[in-house]
Amino acid sequence: MAIDQELLEILACPRCKGPVRLVDEPEGLVCDQCRLLYPIEDGIPVMLIDEARPYDLV
Amino acid sequence: MSKNFKDKVREQFSRTAESYVQSPGFSQGGDLEEAAKLLQPTQDDILLDVACGGGHSALFFAPMVRSVVASDLAMQMLKRAQEFISEEGGVENVTFREADAEDLPFPAGAFTLLTCRIAPHHFPDVPRALGEFHRVLRRGGRMAIIDTLLPDDPEIAEFMHAYEQMRDPTHVRSYSRESWTQMVEAADFILHDIKIIPKTHEFQEWARRTGMNRDGVQKLNKLFIEASAKIQDFFQVETFAGEVENFTDQKILIYASRPAKKPHVQPTKQQEA
Repeated sequence: MAIDQELLEILACPRCKGPVRLVDEPEGLVCDQCRLLYPIEDGIPVMLIDEARPYDLV
Repeated sequence: MSKNFKDKVREQFSRTAESYVQSPGFSQGGDLEEAAKLLQPTQDDILLDVACGGGHSALFFAPMVRSVVASDLAMQMLKRAQEFISEEGGVENVTFREADAEDLPFPAGAFTLLTCRIAPHHFPDVPRALGEFHRVLRRGGRMAIIDTLLPDDPEIAEFMHAYEQMRDPTHVRSYSRESWTQMVEAADFILHDIKIIPKTHEFQEWARRTGMNRDGVQKLNKLFIEASAKIQDFFQVETFAGEVENFTDQKILIYASRPAKKPHVQPTKQQEA
């Protein structure tokens, strides 16, 4: 995984500015507040609201 | 509307990423040297470079700071910038994020330095972006914005707007020194310094960088050739056999910082006495 912990700490959901967490399947960054998954493309997080996918908490 | 425009920006810069990386206009760093003098970066700084384009600012500042986060709206631009920085070698503290300057994906106070170079003229809502820059900067954090300056003379300003939009459909607008001052102060930054830096453009390279075809370049050339003497003088247009060889515009470098403490009225010693 190309994203290390320190850099994860300076990422936030672009919509609510809350924390995001890394998930593996599908790979991406999840905002639990907005229930959105931000995909990661070639190690670069796509932190665009319009590109986020709905993410349902299991 | 805004989404469609931003899709256009992403498409445009994904298509032309290579020419931005290779552009001498971006890699020649007189303005970056000036910005560094003002920002005084240190090894404790965490820098955000917004709308990083080809990665020239990120590469320039990376050796001076602890880490750089480079963001851009266009994934292909980020990938090319990443390649460019890796090819240049020597720095390993730059990471990339696809992000919108008007909706930054960073928590409040995450950065101590912020740069944004030759990009705000693509932003539909500069005050909103400045609000985001303010939010992600720590108190006391320093910021340098560089962009093309809109001249004060209305005739010259109108000419500039015409050629910028003809050359680049993703050009929204440039701002005058007065507008920048107002916007930066309205966003609760302390404005420390403004520098005006002339920049000469080799016409063909400048025109083709945005992906213009031959016909488009010819129309742009005609616009410059037929401009009034006042406009040609202002832009120092140099021609040879009916072709524009180069011209010079002005960049504005804005150095500002987020106030160190919450603004509140503090009685001075005189008032206390």
